[in-house]
Amino acid sequence: MLVTVKILRYNPEKDAQPSYQTFQVEAEETDRVLDLLEKIKGEQDGSLSFRRSCGHGICGSDAMRINGMNRLACKTLVRDVGDQITVEPLLGLPKIKDLIVDMKPFFDHYRRVMPYFISDLPVPEDGRERLQSPEERLRFDDTTKCILCACCTTSCPSFWANDQYYGPAAIVNAHRFIFDSRDTATAERLQILAEEMGVWRCRTAFNCTEACPREIQITKAIAEVKQAILSGKV
Amino acid sequence: MSGQRSVKIKPNYEVIAWKWMRYTAIALIPLAWFHMILQDVLVGVHRIDLNYVQVRWAFWGWRVYDFFLLAFAFAHGVNGLRQVLMDYIHSEKARIWVSWGLLVFWLVISLIGAFAIIGGVRMPSS
Ligand code: FES
Repeated sequence: MLVTVKILRYNPEKDAQPSYQTFQVEAEETDRVLDLLEKIKGEQDGSLSFRRSCGHGICGSDAMRINGMNRLACKTLVRDVGDQITVEPLLGLPKIKDLIVDMKPFFDHYRRVMPYFISDLPVPEDGRERLQSPEERLRFDDTTKCILCACCTTSCPSFWANDQYYGPAAIVNAHRFIFDSRDTATAERLQILAEEMGVWRCRTAFNCTEACPREIQITKAIAEVKQAILSGKV
Repeated sequence: MSGQRSVKIKPNYEVIAWKWMRYTAIALIPLAWFHMILQDVLVGVHRIDLNYVQVRWAFWGWRVYDFFLLAFAFAHGVNGLRQVLMDYIHSEKARIWVSWGLLVFWLVISLIGAFAIIGGVRMPSS
C-alpha cells in the first residue's frame, strides 16, 4: 500500500520555523512507523534526522508525536494509524533538528528525584542481597517498567505550560524507590516532590497514562505519591 | 496494608494549600448550593436589598453562615487562581510577588466582608 507520511521538519541552520514535508512510501500494513522513517532517510532524503537505537521498544529513544499521540515509532504499526501519517517531534522540549528534541530538561528533572537505590542500613550479615517479600516487590512493580522515553512528560498539559514542573516521568521513577521497602531515602524524595513544582502541578489530566508505551498506570502512581506526602505513610 | 512504613515529612506551604483546597471544596458543596438555591431561586436576586439583608442578618446564624461562605469560597477561589497563574509564570521571583499580591487582595476583600458581617446593617436615617 502507498502511505503518505507528513513530517514536521526543522533545520536550525536554514529554517526560521519548522514546516511540514510530505513523502510517499510503499509499505506493508505490518511495517512500523520507524521502518517508514528509515525508508525515507535511506531512499528519499538522507538529511531526515531522528533518534533510534534498539528498534524493540526498550531503549526509549524514538518517542515522537504520531497522528497527534506520543508513541514509540518502533512500536507503532502502519495498520494502527492508517495510511495518512503525521509525524512531529515531542512537544514541550526544545527542538534540535527534525524529530530530535533536547532531552536535557527532562533528565534534569529525573536526576532531581535521586533515581537510584539509597540505603544507610548495614549490609546483611551473609554479605548478600537485602531480602524483600513478593508483596513488597509488587508494591512498585509497575513503575520499574519505565524506559525514560519522555512520552508521558511531553504529553502533560501542566508540563507544556511550565517546564519547571518535574513531570510524570520523574515522579514515576521516584515512586519506584519511594515504595521500595529496602530504600531509606523515602522522606527526602517525598520532600522534593512536595515542593511547588512537584506533584501538586499534576491536575490528573491522564494524558501521561494514555501516552505511556509501557502501559504504566502513571496517574495512579502520582496519586500514590501525593497520598504518601499527605499521610506520611508508604 | 501490611508492612507500611511511616515517614516524617515537614509540611510546607504547598501541602497545606493542597489540603485546604480539598477541605474547603467539601464544605462548599452544601454552603454554595444552599446559598444559590436560597438567594437566586427562592428569594430571587431582584428582591435582595438592604432591607432583606437587615432581616437576614438579624439572626446570628445567617451571619455565621455568610462568614463561612466568605472564608471558604473566597480563599478557595483565590488559591485556585494562584495555582493557575503558577503554571504560566516562569520566573520564581514573579511567582513570589504574585503570591503575596494575591494574599493582600484576599485579605483586603475578606476584611471588608468580615466588617460588614460583624457590623451588620445600619439603615440610613431618613
Ligand atoms: S528504538 Fe528503542 S524504543 Fe524504539
